Amino acid sequence: MTSRAQDLLLGLVPLALVIALWQALVSFGYAPATLLPPPGMVFRRLAQQLTTLTFEQDIAATLFRLFAGFLIAVVLGVTIGIAAAASPLINSAVRPVVRVLAPLPKVALYPALLLLLGFGHESKITLVTADALFPILLSTYYGASTVEQKLVWSALAAGTSPREVLFKVVLPAAAPSILTGCRIGLVISCIVVFLAEMITSTDGLGHVLVTAARTFQAVDMFVPLITISLLGLILNAALGALRSYLLRGFPEV
Amino acid sequence: MRSRFISGTRAAPWLACLGLLVIWQIAALALKNDSFPTALAAIRAIPLILGDKEALINILASQRRMTIGFVVAIIVSIPLGLMMGRSRAVASFFNPLLMVIYPVPKAALMPIIMLWLGVGDLSKTLVIFLGVSLPVIYHSFEGAKSVEEKMLWSGAAMGLSAAERMVRIVLPAALPEILTGCRTGLVLALITMVTSEMIARQSGAGNILFNALDMGEYDLVFAMIIIIGAMGICLDAMFETLRRRLVRWSEPQFDMPLSFS
Amino acid sequence: MRAPAQATAMIEIDHVSQTFQTSARQDHLALSDISLTVEDGAFVSILGPSGCGKSTLLYIVGGFVSPTQGAARMKGKAITGPGPDRGPVFQEFALFPWKTVLGNVMYGPRQQGVKAAEAEAQCRALIEMVGLKGFEDFYPKELSGGMKQRVALARTLAYHPEVLLMDEPFGALDAHTRTRLQNDLLNIWERDRKTVLFVTHSVEEAVFLSDKVVMMTRSPGRIREIIDIDLPRPRRRSELLLDPRYQKYVVDIERMFDDGGAQGGTL
Repeated sequence: MTSRAQDLLLGLVPLALVIALWQALVSFGYAPATLLPPPGMVFRRLAQQLTTLTFEQDIAATLFRLFAGFLIAVVLGVTIGIAAAASPLINSAVRPVVRVLAPLPKVALYPALLLLLGFGHESKITLVTADALFPILLSTYYGASTVEQKLVWSALAAGTSPREVLFKVVLPAAAPSILTGCRIGLVISCIVVFLAEMITSTDGLGHVLVTAARTFQAVDMFVPLITISLLGLILNAALGALRSYLLRGFPEV
Repeated sequence: MRSRFISGTRAAPWLACLGLLVIWQIAALALKNDSFPTALAAIRAIPLILGDKEALINILASQRRMTIGFVVAIIVSIPLGLMMGRSRAVASFFNPLLMVIYPVPKAALMPIIMLWLGVGDLSKTLVIFLGVSLPVIYHSFEGAKSVEEKMLWSGAAMGLSAAERMVRIVLPAALPEILTGCRTGLVLALITMVTSEMIARQSGAGNILFNALDMGEYDLVFAMIIIIGAMGICLDAMFETLRRRLVRWSEPQFDMPLSFS
Repeated sequence: MRAPAQATAMIEIDHVSQTFQTSARQDHLALSDISLTVEDGAFVSILGPSGCGKSTLLYIVGGFVSPTQGAARMKGKAITGPGPDRGPVFQEFALFPWKTVLGNVMYGPRQQGVKAAEAEAQCRALIEMVGLKGFEDFYPKELSGGMKQRVALARTLAYHPEVLLMDEPFGALDAHTRTRLQNDLLNIWERDRKTVLFVTHSVEEAVFLSDKVVMMTRSPGRIREIIDIDLPRPRRRSELLLDPRYQKYVVDIERMFDDGGAQGGTL
């Protein structure tokens, strides 16, 4: 058996243990079914919900906000990051602002966003963008500013204009770092969109959770949590695959 | 160049703050929206919150929970991360479990945890513990993984046992990265605290924030935002000073962590 | 000078082979049936092109890597792991960045239970001997490459290993620093003539430093030839460079490497 397969099997053990423990807690009566429904019940409900239109619409709403916010964050983050790495002037303007804004819990801004943008998609997308922006920006800046000088010089010597160098050399060379930042940004987007929907929303996975909580439906509370976890895993894997494909020429990074 | 001089000084972040507040002030005056008070109005409302005894007690209680959750988390997470970093088997064992938990916002676990553990301090502290653990485990893992093999061999040649090498070589060598993880964890503790309070609506800073929102007291809303923001910045700055002191010996690192969530 | 006595082999390498699994999940034979004895007090160089497994051989003697076949022995006893009797000096220095120069050098003695005051005195003397007096409280990040390697050497000498295992220790340094350190190493070695296994890819370095040069082939590494270097000690670079015997050794060895290549052989 390959070591990769071995690793995977080993990793499934704690998951299996958790589910086994879960089932045991229910079967042996340590937890009433109202508080901790058995795993079988939860997964059946999940399967059922996945084919229900309203739930699918909720997933769609969540995904829409997630992607919109994430993509805007990518565009903004990469642009500003590269600009800051390329121009000392922009750098000196951006750096202190980022230093101040980055540690702020942006979710504290959420009420402000609600007031300004209403309770619909816009406020949530903006919050997602605000939270996902910084890791992407920082990793882009880091990647772009640590591009080996000799690479740039080689391209310039071959006749590339400085502006072209940004696209043809700096961007690809910074790609590993940028994609790492995007991965972090994507997970953050999952987390933030879910949270925003929990705090105030009329649809989306977060909203499903809160509704279930208010009506004490434990099973229905597990379903959106597992869904967002699966979504996160799938998106992460997809981005990982994209990363491997885009970086196939690079040395092991 | 003048611009480089300005950004190089320590005044730069303060200037940035000031700049942002100015932009806020101008934007608010321009928009003339009732629900968007000016920066000055918000600042003036701050003493109203801090002066209110009950609010202050609430905020301090939040911070207490946050601190406990944070400390317990790092005590558990650092050894786990280090072991994962040095042992492929341990890493393979825990990785998938952690990856499943990662995309779930820990504050979203609040309703379920409250269902099980009630509305007291325990559930909130538990959520904070979970939120802080992940980045600390991850960074400890990365730090331990990148410890130079030859350093460990040198230690083995000197007679150190495997356990001694873990504590006396891996731990100090990985310390810069571990502390970066702790810095992320600290900010996350604050975020998790605030969001769990926004969701649970029982007490604490997040609750004050949304109460003000519900009651239409927009000055207070924004004042609270400033207070929470200031807490975040202060904690981060304090920790960074501590970190720099502890790892004076390390090569200069990229000075901002890449992830806050 | 050591009394000859019975020629006790300090290190015996007995039909050692080493196979690695590469990432492509293929087997790579790094070392093939290496047998070698190293006498007490001998300075032996292991010379070969990159990838011939010479470092791996050193790591096997050091106990950091287990041979897939065969065994290495020290003074008759099988080598099963690392220990203070075989002290390594690595090309990457491997200093502990969180400790000062003095802290690094004192590490081994303290580990062996030497009392702090005594250890400090010994180590300060050692630091002076490697030419770093005044730098005891500096951190590794504040030192140049050459200085770091001096610290690494002092750190290993501090716990008095019987055998020094040096893995291309001057490979990461510029030519000028390299020649200085080669001289300093010989001066230090002359004092108590420890057994040294010195891995290098530089013919001149091997001939200059050693009593014996073990020439290795390209991967899979085999011993091609063992050459005794019969040059008087102490060796001065300025004299040796002009000495026709030294020059002949260098030319002969280089020719042997070239020939092997020209014949399309395994060299």
